[in-house]
Amino acid sequence: MTRNHAKALAALSAGANLPQIVFAEIMETLPAAMYMTDAQGRLTYFNRAAAKLSGRTPEIGTDRWCVTWKLFLPDGTPLPHDQCPMAVALKGGDVPTGIEYIAERPDGTRFWFTPYPAVLRDAEGQIIGGVNLLIDITDRKNAKLQIDEQFRAIIETTPECVKIVARDGTLLFMNPPGLAMVGASCADTVTDKNIYNVIAPEDRERFREFNETICGGKKGSLQFEIVGLNGERHHMETHAAPLRLTDGTTVHLAVTHDVTERKRAERASLLLNAIVDSSEDAIISKDLDGVITSWNKSAERLFGYTAGEALGKTVADLLIPEDRQDEEPNILARLRNGERVDHFETVRRRKDGSLIDISLTISPVKNLEGVIIGASKIARDITESKRIQARLLESEARFRQLADTMPQIVWTARPDGRVDYYNERWYEFTGFSRVAFEESNPESILHPDDIEETRRSWYTAVRSGEPYNVEHRFRDRRENRWRWFVGRAIPVRDAANNVVKWFGTCTDIDEQKRVEDQLRRANRDLEQFAFSASHDLQEPLRSVKIYSELLAKRHSDKLDSDALTFLTFLRNGATRMETLVCDLLSYTQATTFDGPDELVDAREVLKTTLENLRGAIEDSSAEITADPLPSLPVARTHLQQLFQNLIGNAIKYRSPERPPAIHLRAERQNEYWIFSVTDNGIGIDPEYKEKIFGLFKRLHSSDEYSGTGIGLAICQRIVDRYQGRIWVESELGRGSTFRFTLPL
Amino acid sequence: MFLIQEAIEVSEVQLTVHVAKDGEQAVQFFDRVDGDSDMPCPALVILDINLPKKQGGDVLKHMRQSRKCSGALVLVVSTSDSAQDRERMAKLGADGYFRKPSAYDEFMKLGEIVKKLLNGPPLKEIDSPR
Repeated sequence: MTRNHAKALAALSAGANLPQIVFAEIMETLPAAMYMTDAQGRLTYFNRAAAKLSGRTPEIGTDRWCVTWKLFLPDGTPLPHDQCPMAVALKGGDVPTGIEYIAERPDGTRFWFTPYPAVLRDAEGQIIGGVNLLIDITDRKNAKLQIDEQFRAIIETTPECVKIVARDGTLLFMNPPGLAMVGASCADTVTDKNIYNVIAPEDRERFREFNETICGGKKGSLQFEIVGLNGERHHMETHAAPLRLTDGTTVHLAVTHDVTERKRAERASLLLNAIVDSSEDAIISKDLDGVITSWNKSAERLFGYTAGEALGKTVADLLIPEDRQDEEPNILARLRNGERVDHFETVRRRKDGSLIDISLTISPVKNLEGVIIGASKIARDITESKRIQARLLESEARFRQLADTMPQIVWTARPDGRVDYYNERWYEFTGFSRVAFEESNPESILHPDDIEETRRSWYTAVRSGEPYNVEHRFRDRRENRWRWFVGRAIPVRDAANNVVKWFGTCTDIDEQKRVEDQLRRANRDLEQFAFSASHDLQEPLRSVKIYSELLAKRHSDKLDSDALTFLTFLRNGATRMETLVCDLLSYTQATTFDGPDELVDAREVLKTTLENLRGAIEDSSAEITADPLPSLPVARTHLQQLFQNLIGNAIKYRSPERPPAIHLRAERQNEYWIFSVTDNGIGIDPEYKEKIFGLFKRLHSSDEYSGTGIGLAICQRIVDRYQGRIWVESELGRGSTFRFTLPL
Repeated sequence: MFLIQEAIEVSEVQLTVHVAKDGEQAVQFFDRVDGDSDMPCPALVILDINLPKKQGGDVLKHMRQSRKCSGALVLVVSTSDSAQDRERMAKLGADGYFRKPSAYDEFMKLGEIVKKLLNGPPLKEIDSPR
């Protein structure tokens, strides 16, 4: 139907002399909606199609300008009826043709149409009315949108990747969200324009097979990973269908979405579930009414209820003992305020009715909007730690009881060195308050000269973890004097070897110290005395000897034989006394020399010794042999004195039945040498084994064997100086072995 | 004293002998020599270690610091056989050490040593048999 056609119709009705009834009949059968108005736009006629299209029954003489219910421009803005094309035409305006409008029916449905208004004029050209033809274009409109605008809008606004791929992988099309996923600005920038290049290498083969399948005409979906041009990995899920092109080839059309986040969330959730399930602690969640909403394995183990039994029940009913029912409302109130409950120690009831000590940590759970919707609750079984704690308290009480019975001052300190306990002895000794612990400052009773050394030793011990050992003086308030103490402490370590505690004592060594001092002083005095005495004794002895000699030499003619015999006795006595003094002198000097730092070759020392003893060896025809001898860090004179005394004795106390055979040997044992001198002499009665090493101890009179009884005492003194030992093993009549030890 | 003089007589060395009875007298003697231009420094000083009042070592030290006698020959004569004493006196500047023997004949050997010291180059270690 054209505009000309409508004009012709108008002309027909007004000008041609067709009967009205025929005209009406034609109008009614027209498939297009048509109506007529008078010059003022009042509706004078409408056909059946007009009523159907407008969805209403128009009112003749009342409706003006148009039969439609509501009118809109294509952009959706309402259009008043008096501005509709028909009104514009009746008011003499120019009406453009082919404009599309939207109309709304009373039931809310809308339709698109194009109006074709025409003005009817009389012979004088006066407007007498109008006729309008409304062509419904809704179908056409919808169809076009579906193919074109709507489709484009969809693929461009969808967040998914939409792509078309050829059988060989060539990327024919990809929408902007898809390009963003692979990190490309346009399809051309995808390497070689081939989709395979962005598929992760491990998934590439699978994707190629999938593409073949789709291009082969089948639908399908696939999960795979891509590596974008920017190197980012994304996990994708695609739904694809074959698309047949006009040239007969089939390509792959796919909608693909990025499921990386979903995958990550899935993994995180799996991990979280695993953690919750494997946790040693019971993990429970509940809503704000206290109703349990989750229940892990440890919760089952701890409380005895299965998840099935616990879910949906309230914590108060299930777990809280009667006498603690007031706890839950309290906890819930705090949770509603957004507060956390940390390490709340309480008691809960198991399914079997038994009670357990637990520690609770409860945090509020918020939804995405930040509203508190419940709580997560971690319950830890502390029955064991409670028991350990009780045992610890008990063992500590026992320790204190024990410590209090000890005669020493006992204390303990933390790993950082701060003392945290003293026993009863401390308070008794110091008079410090048992209550005000800070009063117990050891330095306040420490001798001023000892503070620095004591402090240094303690800090060194604490820093190194080595035992602490120091001597110091404490003020004894009862006797108002200083007393010597030895302070000792050892670290107590845990399994990881960390110091967890120091255990220390202060022992009163005042008496011991005083005796030691006295002894040392006495020894020193004695040595000094012996040294001076032997020196001063020598001079008069020498005079006695030399002048008795002169007397015998120059005045023998005036002396009778008795006098001469007495002179001989006088000289022999003086000679013996001289030997005694000489030996005594070497005895006092045995420890006064400082040993040299270098090693001394025992073989050389033996050589010198044998040289000195040559006379005695030759007179007795002694045979002296030795194993290889070592070098060792002692004073040459000391070793020589040892050899000389022992070998000299072996010769002196030889058996009258056989010439002396003497053998020397040195054996290494642990940290020292054991020297031995073995002879075949007269031997020693076991009864005197110890006695012979004493000063002036002799087993024989000087008539039998000459000697002063100092030689072995000197040997004893020398080995003492090196913290060694000397002893003898012997059999009467068979011989003796003297052994002594010296350091390596 | 008697034996030392006898040993010197036996060795036939011509000497004028001054005798100091103790350490203090010896020190005073050296001071007097220093103060009196007519008194010559002794050619040889025979010194015991164990002296009354002042030890032999102190006497030697004093002498070595004196104006006139610092260079005199010194022979230590003592009963001490200790290595310590020998070393100490050598360090203080003794020219010889004679350990007093307890046999007459041995003692007489002192004369020979005095003769050697006065005639020959100074001997650091003049020793007697032990």
